[in-house]
Amino acid sequence: MTDPSRPAIIRGVQIRKHFGGIAATDGVDFDVLEGDLVGLIGPNGSGKTTLINILTGHLAAESGDVFLRDRRMTARPPHEFAAHGVGRTFQLTQLFGRMTVLENMLVPGLTRPHSTWASATEQARRHLAFLNLEHLSGLEAKNLSGGQQKLLELGRALMLDPAVLFLDEPFAGVHPKLREELIKRILQLHESGRTFVVVDHDMESILRIAGRLVVMARGRKIADGPPAAVREDQTVLAAYSGF
Amino acid sequence: MDYSYLAIQATNGAVIGVIYALVAVGVTLIFSILKIVNFAHGDLYMLGGYTAYYLITLAGFPPLGALVGSMAAVFAFGILIERTMLTPLYSPRTERKDEYGIIVTFGLAFFLRNTALIVFGPFALKPPSFAPGVLRIGALAVTNDRVFVAVVGTLLILALLYFMNRTIWGQALDAVSQSRDSAAIVGINAGRFNSLAYAVGAALAAAAGALIAPIFSLSPDMGILPNINSYVIVILGGMGSVGGSIAAGFLLGEAQALFTAFLPDPTRALSYSNAFGVLVLMIVLMVRPTGLFGRRHVRME
Amino acid sequence: MRGLPTYLLASLVLAGLVYAHGFNSYWMHVTIIAMFYAILAASWTLLSGYAGLYSLGHMAFASIGAYTSALLIQWTGMPTILGMASGVVFCTVVGAWIGWVCLRMTGPYLAIFTLAFSEIVRIVFSTEDEVTQGMAGLHTVFLFHTDSRIPYFYTAIGLLVFSLAVMGFIVHSRWGLFLRSIREEEQAAAASGVRVAYFRILVFAVASGFAALAGVFYGHYLGILTPSLGSLDLMIIVVVMAVIGGMERIPTAVGGAIGIEFLQEYLRAYGEWRLVIFGLVLLFTMRFARNGLLTPLWLQFVRLGEVRRPVSAAAQAAAAAGEVGPQGSGGS
Repeated sequence: MTDPSRPAIIRGVQIRKHFGGIAATDGVDFDVLEGDLVGLIGPNGSGKTTLINILTGHLAAESGDVFLRDRRMTARPPHEFAAHGVGRTFQLTQLFGRMTVLENMLVPGLTRPHSTWASATEQARRHLAFLNLEHLSGLEAKNLSGGQQKLLELGRALMLDPAVLFLDEPFAGVHPKLREELIKRILQLHESGRTFVVVDHDMESILRIAGRLVVMARGRKIADGPPAAVREDQTVLAAYSGF
Repeated sequence: MDYSYLAIQATNGAVIGVIYALVAVGVTLIFSILKIVNFAHGDLYMLGGYTAYYLITLAGFPPLGALVGSMAAVFAFGILIERTMLTPLYSPRTERKDEYGIIVTFGLAFFLRNTALIVFGPFALKPPSFAPGVLRIGALAVTNDRVFVAVVGTLLILALLYFMNRTIWGQALDAVSQSRDSAAIVGINAGRFNSLAYAVGAALAAAAGALIAPIFSLSPDMGILPNINSYVIVILGGMGSVGGSIAAGFLLGEAQALFTAFLPDPTRALSYSNAFGVLVLMIVLMVRPTGLFGRRHVRME
Repeated sequence: MRGLPTYLLASLVLAGLVYAHGFNSYWMHVTIIAMFYAILAASWTLLSGYAGLYSLGHMAFASIGAYTSALLIQWTGMPTILGMASGVVFCTVVGAWIGWVCLRMTGPYLAIFTLAFSEIVRIVFSTEDEVTQGMAGLHTVFLFHTDSRIPYFYTAIGLLVFSLAVMGFIVHSRWGLFLRSIREEEQAAAASGVRVAYFRILVFAVASGFAALAGVFYGHYLGILTPSLGSLDLMIIVVVMAVIGGMERIPTAVGGAIGIEFLQEYLRAYGEWRLVIFGLVLLFTMRFARNGLLTPLWLQFVRLGEVRRPVSAAAQAAAAAGEVGPQGSGGS
């Protein structure tokens, strides 16, 4: 699905990964174009998280390639992906619990070349203000509420000034009010030019934000297109009803 | 090649193997239920040996009775330890449970060893034999004590396997090891089973100590070597696999004995036989950091 | 007054240097040994408290450094300082190698592996007694050719201050943040751009280098070296010191080391019971005062001279509105 006017930031080509005999991803091609807001959906066990882990460097595919703008990143370690502008959040929030909110933000900020404590702190405060967390900067991350933790994880990913952000189930178990805030922030960030890939089971939220829907089932990509078209797709309906 | 020497070493290896298996099974049990490596396990083994000794010499127990008594005493002690020191492991408010487990059990080992040094004295003590005399099979002569160790040790292991697989308690333990929460939903009081797991593990170690004491005598630091070897065994046999630890324990005992037999320089052989297990351990961990049968701790949902 | 704690500490060190002549030889020895333990406790804390790598092989590095230095000097006749430096350098390389080997190991596996490594080193040093003199003891060259302990005292202070300065610098720099992030959530740290492998190896190298520094000083101070330097008994004592003091921070670990060492001397009359008492205190500390007994004192000390700023009402209200609470409770 290459659109010459919008370059691909991440390209996954024929990604294959097995776990003990089961194909978690079975020859998946997945391109993320600049400016996309992709909703990646599918029944449990369809391989969504595996795909994300491979595209962010946390897992090595058995075969297939990952390209970050023309750079071949297959099997490179996750910190290199981060250094080249790939940010992500985790299904179960993985904050640095005993470090303060500000310190959580400073870690990615200070990994960037030419960063100083002053510049990173200023950038951190800016993002924290955007996320409405600035008043908590001195608090240890483990003392935040669940929703605040999700926001902080988003903020932490933002510190990398990422070209693309992978959000792994950001709406899972989130209070409706908080969900609204998250959606608002995601849309705001998207409008200011950031690319998103959002994995979730919360169809309502996904359909509100996604400009493009990619559906996976049993390790394969079975649909990829605008939400309206995908929702009518017979194979998608079959996949969901089959479970 | 001196075959009789080899045969003796092989027999010794089998006896030691049974002891290692007994100790390792305890460590495995504790690891699967409490999710910690019990660094104090060797000292429970030591405690078992000394308890049996004093039951015989001070309370006049017969050797077999002392074995049972020692197991019971250390079982109770295991419950005490678990209730006083290990309950934070189940509380969600405790952070860094790995660290807690390592340091607390390490500290417990330190405490037990030094207390033993003072209370029991540093000199080796030897309890009376279980069964005096020697068994002769062909050209091979094995002391009855060693036979006793092998037989009783094997019986205990079989009893444990039966307990784990065929009784409701054992199956409950299995359930708790897989998921505390699910077990709780089914009505299993996980707290009680943690105590049970630790106590059973401790009792098995105590049995091993009591069994081996008449052969190799007692000293306060006798637990150090079995301790280290038990880590070798659980890592080789699979953390959490009872059957694996038994097999690996037995194999290690044999391998160590045969290694000693084949090493040309006898004085070196003895010292390095102690290092045999750890060397194997290092190599295994370097090749497979999660052990031979451990699952890679991949945090992917 | 700003920086009051720093001035106080500096004055303490200065006082130690100036009044050294007033110490009697025995207590000077105790202080020197206390500083030896302090370097070990501090470097162990760097590895375990900051980076989250619970190594039980720390003493092996001290031992390797000491024996390398002693044997190199014995074989080549090189100047003592050079021998010591070589011991430290060699051990740093070994530490880096161990750090690399342990890259994929976590928690108890790392502890077991380093324990195994430690035992192998001890057994080898003990068995190959043609080279090392084993348990009989290897005679080493003294660092200073004088009967007085004073030069050793000054050297120990110097080494301790140097070690703490370097470790303190690391801890307060961005590297310190990275190490802590690795301890907290290694995967998230990598996703945030932290070069996890690099830092794990680095921290092992640095920590083992300092352990070796302590070891070479010890070897050339006592004049005799045995494999018990690398024994588990000493390892446990270092752990006891760091944990009782507080293994989350270097100053508290140092305090624990010095405190326990002096306590060991004061309680000499109790003989073997000292160790039993320390064991009990360790268990008590872990169970009820996880952060260490000295940590509350240290936190107060660090705030000496600060003007207490009242927390603004707005911040308090905001914190309450955000439903701050443990994960899972509150707003979501």
